[in-house]
Amino acid sequence: LVMKGNKLQLIDPAHAFRELGLEEHHLRFTCTVSIDEEGPVTQTVDKIYQLTKSKLKNYPVQYSNDGSITVSESVLIKVSGDEESKDILVSWSYQDEELGSYLLQILRTSLTT
Amino acid sequence: GFEVHKKSYIFGSPNIQTFVDVMTQQGISSIKVEDTGSGSIIHLPNDETLIQVDGDSTHIICEGDESIRVKIRDSLIKCLKRL
Repeated sequence: LVMKGNKLQLIDPAHAFRELGLEEHHLRFTCTVSIDEEGPVTQTVDKIYQLTKSKLKNYPVQYSNDGSITVSESVLIKVSGDEESKDILVSWSYQDEELGSYLLQILRTSLTT
Repeated sequence: GFEVHKKSYIFGSPNIQTFVDVMTQQGISSIKVEDTGSGSIIHLPNDETLIQVDGDSTHIICEGDESIRVKIRDSLIKCLKRL
């Protein structure tokens, strides 16, 4: 909510920063969860996709053509590895901090124990 | 289910020395700073973490504990303006 002259206006935060002559700081986190799971990478991606969808019912969870999963605006999950073990990369921006850290915790507890 | 409680916004660019000092105060030991010309790469070898700071953007790549990530996040936020 920004006051312009004697009018109040509702504008998005990035726009508000620019109006105030400030640049938003873009902060991004990338964390990795390593697991010993046998089978193809696609099987692990599918498992994570189902898990994410079940935990985040009110959020858009999308499966991309390149095998990655996106959640909401900025959360990205990518799986790499071989038949024996997998690395799950979880990345998110500060604006999705609660969502990203929650998802990382879910993946750590559900897949590594 | 999961719900977001609040969203906050940060702006500006951090002073690297201040950022390093705040991380040290938070108990993070062994901080190596490399100047890249346009920004800095901060390496925390004991905590398996790399931080790329480039003006108005920062990327924290954390292979270690969640508690370390949170300490780095809070240290950086202390060096920025917040809304």
